Amino acid sequence: MAKPAKKLVIISEKILLKKIAQIIEEAGATGYTVMETGGKGSRNVRSSGQPSVSDTTVNVKFEVLTHDRIMAQKIADHVAEKFFLDYAGIIYMCDAEVLYGHSFCGPEGC
Amino acid sequence: MDLLSNFLMDFIKQLQSPTLSFLIGGIFIAAFGSQLQIPESIVKIIIFMLLTKIGLTGGIAIRNSNLTEMILPAAFSVLVGILIVFIARYTLAKLPKVKTLDALATGGLFGAVSGSTMAAAITALEEQNIKFEAWAGALYPFMDIPALVTAIVVANVYLNNMKRKEQAQSAMQESLSRQPVAAGDYPDQQSYPSTRQEYLSRQRSVDSRVKIWPIVQESLQGPALSAMLLGLALGLFARPESVYKGFYDPAFRGLLSILMLVMGMEAWSRLNELRKVAHWYVVYSVVAPFVHGLIAFGLGMIAHYATGFSLGGVVVLAVIAASSSDISGPPTLRAGIPSANPSAYIGASTAIGTPVAIGLCIPFFLGLAQTLGAG
Repeated sequence: MAKPAKKLVIISEKILLKKIAQIIEEAGATGYTVMETGGKGSRNVRSSGQPSVSDTTVNVKFEVLTHDRIMAQKIADHVAEKFFLDYAGIIYMCDAEVLYGHSFCGPEGC
Repeated sequence: MDLLSNFLMDFIKQLQSPTLSFLIGGIFIAAFGSQLQIPESIVKIIIFMLLTKIGLTGGIAIRNSNLTEMILPAAFSVLVGILIVFIARYTLAKLPKVKTLDALATGGLFGAVSGSTMAAAITALEEQNIKFEAWAGALYPFMDIPALVTAIVVANVYLNNMKRKEQAQSAMQESLSRQPVAAGDYPDQQSYPSTRQEYLSRQRSVDSRVKIWPIVQESLQGPALSAMLLGLALGLFARPESVYKGFYDPAFRGLLSILMLVMGMEAWSRLNELRKVAHWYVVYSVVAPFVHGLIAFGLGMIAHYATGFSLGGVVVLAVIAASSSDISGPPTLRAGIPSANPSAYIGASTAIGTPVAIGLCIPFFLGLAQTLGAG
């Protein structure tokens, strides 16, 4: 049985990695996936391919699975309020169905 | 005349040196649209190795030398680091189209030290057989941290003052305009005036005091400084001579050339961003390295006459003052002054400040020291 969930995606600057991770954990999410990304947005091309001596132009993408919309919204509001005035960022949410995942579904599976 | 000919000779020598030629090569191939990529992880390991080597050299030197000699140059480094931020506050920030916060961040970045520029200066001194205190590299944190802390503290104080003024103003406007809004029956508008303003007002209630320790901690935890301080500690307390001689020292120059290539490529890619901000940044980032370096050179000469600080050491002090941070400074400032425009300060530093410091300031201060030493 697949378990319905919300997938929250946060794309922002790499220097916020630890701070966003903290917000996600404090909101009570069981975990998150984070990867380095690049792309183009309203704040110029932010890439991961160009030569770079510092991490300031690298983006990260968080994916968080939450049980309900409320928790996802809480994380999104908190991150946006705290950072999106000064830092690049976008947040979106999709419906997801979790098929396997111990920590998310419980010991007996989804 | 001597100074000019020394400078020109050094400049030509410096142009052909691996350090500068690779930097220029990097700028050229980036301008040419080359697809060459040096993986970021390699750049990270190079930075680690260069700064660990400088730290190790310093640590071993400190173990064998008299620490009291270091007090005056270290105090001057702190002074220069703080001074550079205030110079930017009262020159760059006053120029048209330059925002005060951007100017402060630029000042902080130019006050902070570039490990690669320092490594280039040390290589240049060694190539010309000019003696300098091996612990001179250890002056790095004494200039880097005060500059970053000062920039962030001054920027936050400025920001708080602005907010207070704004608040006073909006309170006055609100009292004037409350009547018609209440009559207009738009309750939604009152609770959500607009998202941007809402964020601002929410932020207003939080950070009103600047905490200094987190800034210091952040710069100490940065990749450049922590590598250097680790090297320093290992040089001081352990016996790392064998790895130093067999690994860190021989690889130093080769790795520096690769880093310079990357810096050249990055300088070119940042130049585009710099075009979008006020042109005064270009003027500042050409003039500032010389002004900062000369101030440090002057103070270094005082130490030279007072405590016998070597002329080579004076050059190192001048070059670290002339340099602007490219590696660990930008993330610290980005976190510390989030509302400053990174295109302005990182562009000014990486695209122009660093090439000027390496290409022009190193030969200039070398020439100056040689002229003074000969006279």
